[in-house]
Amino acid sequence: MATITSSASIPAARARISRSERLAPAVFILPAVLVVLFISIFPLILSLFLSLSRLRFQAGGLEVQFVGLDNYRKLLLGNEQKVLFGVLGEPSLFGWAILACVAASLGLVIYRTARRQSVGAIIGRLLASVVLLGLTYLIAATLFAPEGRPGTLVVTMLYVAVGITLQYLIGLGLALLCAQPLPGRRFFRVVFLLPMMITPVGVGYLFRMLADTNKGPLEPLWIALGMQDFAWSNNAWGARVAVMIGDIWQWTPFMFIVLLAAIEAQEVEPVEAAIVDGAGSFDIFRHITLPAILPVSTTLILIRMIEAFKIIDLPNILTNGGPGTATETLTLYAYRIWRALDIGGSAAIAYILLFLVTFIAMLYVRTLRNRLGTT
Amino acid sequence: MNPKKIASLAALSALILAACAAPPAAAPAQPAQPAQPAEQQPAAPGKKFAGVTVNAITFSGPQIAEPMQRRGKEFSEMTGATINVVTVPFADLYQKILNDFATGTNSFDVIVFAPQWMVDYIEPGYLEDLTDRVKADSDLQWDDIGLFFRDFSATYNGRIYTIPLDGDFQMVYYRTDIAKELGLQPPKTWDDYIAFAKAVSEKKLTTDDGKPVYGSCIAKKKAAQSYWMITSVASAFIQSQGTGQGAFFDLETFKPLYNNEAFARALEVYKETTQFGPPDEINLDVGDTRGLWTAGQCALTIDWGDIGTLAIEEGSKAKDKTGAVILPGSKQVLDRKTGKLVDCTPELCPHAIDGVNHAPFAAFGGWSGAINKASKPEVKDAAFAYLSYMNQPAQSNVDVTIGKTGFNPYRVSQFKNLDNWLKAGMSEQAAKDYLGAIEASLNSPNMVLDLRIPQNQYYQGIVLDGAIAKFLAGEQDLAATMKEIEDGWEQKTEELGRDKQLAAYRSTLGVQK
Amino acid sequence: MRSFFRSSSPLKPSPFRMLVSYLILGFWAFLILFPLYWLFITAFKLPAAVNNGPFYIPFVDFQPSLHAWEYVLGEVGNDTIRLFTNTVGVSLISATLALVVGSGAAYALTRFRFHPKVGTILVFIGCVVLAIVLTALGAPWPLSVAVGIALFVVSLFTLARRFKRALGNSDIAFWLISQRILPPVAVVIPIYIAFQQLRLLDTWAALIITYVATNLPIVVWLMRDYFANIPYELEESAQIDGASRFRIFNQIVLPLSVPGLVATFLFVLVFCWNEYLLALFLTNARAQTMPLAVVAQNATRGPQWWYMSVLVLIMIVPVIAMAIVLERYIARGLLVGAVKG
Repeated sequence: MATITSSASIPAARARISRSERLAPAVFILPAVLVVLFISIFPLILSLFLSLSRLRFQAGGLEVQFVGLDNYRKLLLGNEQKVLFGVLGEPSLFGWAILACVAASLGLVIYRTARRQSVGAIIGRLLASVVLLGLTYLIAATLFAPEGRPGTLVVTMLYVAVGITLQYLIGLGLALLCAQPLPGRRFFRVVFLLPMMITPVGVGYLFRMLADTNKGPLEPLWIALGMQDFAWSNNAWGARVAVMIGDIWQWTPFMFIVLLAAIEAQEVEPVEAAIVDGAGSFDIFRHITLPAILPVSTTLILIRMIEAFKIIDLPNILTNGGPGTATETLTLYAYRIWRALDIGGSAAIAYILLFLVTFIAMLYVRTLRNRLGTT
Repeated sequence: MNPKKIASLAALSALILAACAAPPAAAPAQPAQPAQPAEQQPAAPGKKFAGVTVNAITFSGPQIAEPMQRRGKEFSEMTGATINVVTVPFADLYQKILNDFATGTNSFDVIVFAPQWMVDYIEPGYLEDLTDRVKADSDLQWDDIGLFFRDFSATYNGRIYTIPLDGDFQMVYYRTDIAKELGLQPPKTWDDYIAFAKAVSEKKLTTDDGKPVYGSCIAKKKAAQSYWMITSVASAFIQSQGTGQGAFFDLETFKPLYNNEAFARALEVYKETTQFGPPDEINLDVGDTRGLWTAGQCALTIDWGDIGTLAIEEGSKAKDKTGAVILPGSKQVLDRKTGKLVDCTPELCPHAIDGVNHAPFAAFGGWSGAINKASKPEVKDAAFAYLSYMNQPAQSNVDVTIGKTGFNPYRVSQFKNLDNWLKAGMSEQAAKDYLGAIEASLNSPNMVLDLRIPQNQYYQGIVLDGAIAKFLAGEQDLAATMKEIEDGWEQKTEELGRDKQLAAYRSTLGVQK
Repeated sequence: MRSFFRSSSPLKPSPFRMLVSYLILGFWAFLILFPLYWLFITAFKLPAAVNNGPFYIPFVDFQPSLHAWEYVLGEVGNDTIRLFTNTVGVSLISATLALVVGSGAAYALTRFRFHPKVGTILVFIGCVVLAIVLTALGAPWPLSVAVGIALFVVSLFTLARRFKRALGNSDIAFWLISQRILPPVAVVIPIYIAFQQLRLLDTWAALIITYVATNLPIVVWLMRDYFANIPYELEESAQIDGASRFRIFNQIVLPLSVPGLVATFLFVLVFCWNEYLLALFLTNARAQTMPLAVVAQNATRGPQWWYMSVLVLIMIVPVIAMAIVLERYIARGLLVGAVKG
């Protein structure tokens, strides 16, 4: 399957290029591409098809009835609308301020593009801006509005944003500390990895045990604070915070270990030279360590972002998405209706997620990652 | 240089090939390991089902799988058939079985499942009709099985499809010691229930290690058992004329019965009980409420028969203090023509006791066994004999008294005979209480059959459960909740075909056209 | 050089900084170890000791019991061992294969330039859609696949040539990672059907193929960054000396990226080790894996905390052992950097 034509273009490799050498690029990349193609493209297209249809179980197999965009219509406009988008309210002053800031910066980007670049680039950026502005409005009108209530879409984005930010910062901090020549650091390194090793479902149940304020380990603390009549699980934000704590606990190790490996892999001479020159540790971090780990960081954030958008186990086990719809994420929602045999609807949610994440990931790759000078 | 490159190229492709080739080669080696403790029985020649292998599926965990494996072993020794019990996590059992049937994989001959799902399996023709086999099998003592389980639970459209192994319906449990202390009677109506809970709650009782005792603990967690609990409350207000009346839809128009004064009252009761419950009640599932019960922290709860056997387990603080009654009733019921709540009259509530209409709810339906239609004839025979063996009184009357199994009584002989229960560790008073409530429920002609129409999981697990969760969390008011349920159900009905759904609904209730 | 770096004062933190570091590290270690401690003691509690809790210290607060261990390792011991063997086998093979295949691709993406033609891709997608539609219409799938491939080859030399536009390496990389965006619930039925047709359900093969494919993108992305950080001059001089690509990759690039390889291997291993939904559907009895047993502990009676804790503990011990062994290699990254200079 010659989907990819390749040409080796290595500056210094002009010497003698044998036949196998010319084939090398293909040999390196094709196995991966073929395996992914084999396993991914068929489900991808089939589930797109499922999202446009309704499944019925009949004698001798499945009856697939094509319903066009009906599954999407139900989600975006029908009974399910409130689950997905939440309840929109009039944004507060703060909400408007955020909206205004985003609108202004997008305007600036488009203005700059308009002066320098082609029509295609302008249209692309306009479209991206419209989607971004829409998402910002949704956030402002649900999270930053007294009357509003976030739906699964915004809740998912909230988990992703807060989770990744904190995981990255904590992971980086711990990695920097662990990279120091401290006695006993090996102990910390292994300990810090542990949460990642537990099956996600196990982490969910572990946190359900810990968060039980009646028979869990925090019960005495809870009573000492005079909160025996307060249940975090009754409160929308209490429940969301519980989910986020679990998520941070579980996934900080991922950030930690990759960043640690990146810090340890960096070259030592510049650091030594800087120390000899009398640079402070913050300067060393900013000018030497940070640039060295930035490429890995951007990758890390992208991978974690894609994974984090699929968050399901923690909300599913801690609260089943409750109270009400407060902690429900897109994937959990898709899973719940999938179990109830609404396979088309579930596929439609998955595709909405696919569009959203692809959009955000592309935006991220185009703006941040490429600007930071990686491929 | 060249040969080397080619060699490494070959090595790489060999690896990739190995990726595909090696595992399948490894896989067939698998069956050599003892996959299940019950299998690997050498086929004894001469026995009735020698050489026949029956693959059964149920959910993991000791409740159902343990007796299936234990009885499977005995059955193998008797008949020479091999019984393989495959288990998957409970939450995914329904989908797993359906997928297997629908794609024609047919890995399973026997399914032990919740009969609530059976219409989804029967309608496409996946399940074997067992009517004739049941009639021909006298060892089964079919007439000893509770009327409800025989005629409604195991039956669809007048044909028998499942063999009951377990009797599931909900009851109210109360703490006999607290009732005595406060001079309270076990609740007869839902108003009594609230009064009981309130009285306990106001007393601010504590357990001997200083933990609070709550007036009422109901599993109200979203996407767990909450939608059965609300139905247990609502059924007394909605169904009054016997099982055949149904408690979910109108029998003529298939309009939902969940948007009227009766359901509104049920919702009010349901929400009111939250005040007397643990602070995190809306995040508790039955596992949690059962834990609270055995820790002595609840004065009332709604649950299946399991509490009776759990309360006598080691370490339980509710031992010999657990009383059971039939689900509370109501003196007012729904007038289906007007949608209003009206007082009971002998015509309206023919089954009322002292003017109170009780409608015990057979939530979930009780684990039952069914046979795959696509299995080979000799396998079907062995499969039926196996299910029959487990169901026969000699076996089942012991199994239902074992706390570890999830089997609850479903045969008349099981609650007439106290011996097995006393042997299992119940006090005589507790056994009488427990079995009395079971008998009252089982004998009620007004038992409510759980919803079994195609895709009932969507009607209940998604629409009803979602609306109730939002109601309890205060995201929406009563009217909006009822409207959401009605709209969601109507939408699904339109999608699946109203006539088809209505026909299925009537068939499950045994209503002939 | 190395000894200088290791022992000299410039990089050694001051006592005060060490104290602060230990405090922070100790705090985080506590946050991680306490939940695990709770898991550990729960595995020795009787149901009553859980429900009447909280109890913290065995023998003081509550009498530990081995009942959960007896159940998991004794009563259903055969099942546990079978599930455990499957988990170990499947994840080790999957992680190794994913690392081998993925790091090759990652290397290619950092060192060569690819120009996949848009036309080719479009034609390919078209043919896949056609094959699926044909199958949906009732044609046997081998036939549809054959038709699809034939049509693809034909149009490759005709239609596809008309499109001149080509994509670059970053597009390939993005395409790879985008394969992870869809949640498993959306793809599980198609994958189930595919393996049912191939008659591979309930085998290791099905799980391994799926896991390799789903984890490849992560390997590619992580390894790409490590490879990009390796100074190019080393490879250039090797190339001038006449070393082949494969040799450079094997003998220069891979050894230099051991920390990255180890970290990546660990991730993929853990992901395969812990995967639930696909394992549930692709297996029945023979190839079931451990996560299923953990989930199974929440059934009609509510979570069986004691059994669940035992199972989770059994599951993490081998991975922890592996992490302790492999941690050395991650640490060695620093030395490699120093030696190289």
